[in-house]
Amino acid sequence: MNLGRGSAANRIALWGWLAYAAATLLLGVGVYVATHLAFSRQIDARIEQATNALLVEYHDDGIRGVQSALDQQGVNRPIGLGTALFDVNRIRIAGNLAIPSAPAGWHTIGFDDPGEGREQARVQVTELPGGYRLVVAADLESLEAMDHTILAMFGSAVLALLLLGLGGALLLARYLRKRLESIEATASAIIGGDLEQRADVGAAGDEFDRVAQSLNAMLDRIASLIANLRQVSADLAHDLRTPLSHLRNHLERMRGSQAQAATSASIDEAVAQADNVLALFNAILRISEVEEGSLRRAFTAVDLSALVSELGETLELLAEDEQRILHVAVGSGIRVHGDRELIAQALTNLVENALRHTPPGSVIGLQVRCDDRGALVTVSDNGPGIPEADRERVQQRFVRLQSARFAPGHGLGLSLVRAVAQAHGATFALGDARPGLRAEIRFSRRTAA
Amino acid sequence: MRILLAEDDVDTIEFIETCLVDLDHVVSSAGCGEQALLLACSSPWDVIILDRMLPELDGLTLLRTLRGRGVMTPVLMLTALGRIEDRVDGLDAGADDYLVKPFAPAELVSRVQALGRRYAQGGIATKLRAGPLEIDLIAREVRRGGRVVTLQPREFRLLEVLMRQAGEYVTRTMLLEQVWDFHFDPQTKIVETHMSRLRAKLNEGGLPDLIETARGAGYRVRTT
Repeated sequence: MNLGRGSAANRIALWGWLAYAAATLLLGVGVYVATHLAFSRQIDARIEQATNALLVEYHDDGIRGVQSALDQQGVNRPIGLGTALFDVNRIRIAGNLAIPSAPAGWHTIGFDDPGEGREQARVQVTELPGGYRLVVAADLESLEAMDHTILAMFGSAVLALLLLGLGGALLLARYLRKRLESIEATASAIIGGDLEQRADVGAAGDEFDRVAQSLNAMLDRIASLIANLRQVSADLAHDLRTPLSHLRNHLERMRGSQAQAATSASIDEAVAQADNVLALFNAILRISEVEEGSLRRAFTAVDLSALVSELGETLELLAEDEQRILHVAVGSGIRVHGDRELIAQALTNLVENALRHTPPGSVIGLQVRCDDRGALVTVSDNGPGIPEADRERVQQRFVRLQSARFAPGHGLGLSLVRAVAQAHGATFALGDARPGLRAEIRFSRRTAA
Repeated sequence: MRILLAEDDVDTIEFIETCLVDLDHVVSSAGCGEQALLLACSSPWDVIILDRMLPELDGLTLLRTLRGRGVMTPVLMLTALGRIEDRVDGLDAGADDYLVKPFAPAELVSRVQALGRRYAQGGIATKLRAGPLEIDLIAREVRRGGRVVTLQPREFRLLEVLMRQAGEYVTRTMLLEQVWDFHFDPQTKIVETHMSRLRAKLNEGGLPDLIETARGAGYRVRTT
């Protein structure tokens, strides 16, 4: 049976049809057997009734009574029944049956009907005192006719049903194939490079429509990821060009220069530029690792209060060297579930950002506290701040505002902070410190340890 | 020092050999995991530099096998995989230090020397000396020529790391790892800021500077 191979739709339809055919056949056989049995029982009952009536005659008038009853029946006997009375010598003394006498009990015998040839009959033989035997028989012709009718009826019905079922199965298979083929066609088109192609979604909202919807949602997500990837690659290429061309220029200059000292300085600068490129790559790799989220497996309880106090000591000195003031305020005993180093890196980035984008003399605040919604870390400054319209955008990779065009950095600092916050199930938001920028990472209660 | 280098990339082997042979170290290299395991077990080494991805037997499995056989030679693991998880795996397998490719020669040299020295020192020192400097790790006290110098905890830790490697350069990355426990580059002048304060305290009163800075190589405490 090759029909089902390679096509689930055909296979489903075929098995459905086979089950349907088997059920119909079983029903036919059941009805046939039940009818046949009921009819046979009815025939036996009629024979028994006739025998009993004759036995009543025997009881009332002896063998003569039976004889006269049979003679009367010769003229007016019940339809389909035959009777006979045999004496002790197996000679028929009354009745019309031309069958030999048989031992007492029930029998099915064959006999020759002068009109219709060989036929079957059901016979009950009863022994009477004095060696007499009373025989009552019923022709089984009617039963056979009945059987034939039922068989013919069911035969044609089953045939019709099977044909109908087969037609239905083929239609079902075609329908299933058609629905699936539309999805397959979409997939093929996408494999072929047409990423805009989407599967048709019908109005019915059935399983196929839901699959198509999920598929389309998945494709949309992939498309947006690809678009993002393209953007990042383009930005990356663009951002790499600057340090690489600087590097190239330095090497070029070294080739032309004869002075030993100048060459040595140029080499140092070239190495610094190469390091810059490597740092950029490391930052990008770090962000994707954090965004991927697999680090979450290694998360443990982090004493946020201790971490920020420790970090604050180091960063205070850094701020001092850069002629800014860092105020650290830490609430005690605040813990979160996460990675100590990632949190440290995010906070260092935020403070570093504040140092970089504020004028000397600015005041920067680093705060940790805990309220009923969970732990909250804020870094605020009284510098120029970021216009509200740009606050979302600066968290994207490589985005640097015009005002920061000449500040060092690759525009990756806030992307990392955002990735770290997301990995911790925390939210990261930029706001207005009136004046200045206020960055906050809010850990939810759920992630608090 | 006798150094075993398990690495399959010819360019990397050449680069590392050049870095280390200049300092009179003897470097033997093995190009596959099986060979490296055989060499590592058959003769004593001061340091093993182990690439994480080796043919036949990968670096992690090799390292676990070595440690399982009781070979406790210090191992510096090299890898092109810079992920946080990879570093944790390497240290879990028994690596003493972990360096991500590409790396600067100074980074490799300083780390190899630090590992060799840590192993050679053996027992736990409670006092470290270098020239006129002396630090007591138990009393957390620093003296320069008998005069007590008061340091902040972080400055003390910074000096301790330098003193353990007295005479050798310690890179900025190593300091970030060992003093701050940062395995990332914070892109700030954290080390420089602390180093200048440490120097100021050590050199108080116009004394000559005891800490040398070399561009690209790091910092070292003079021994004389």
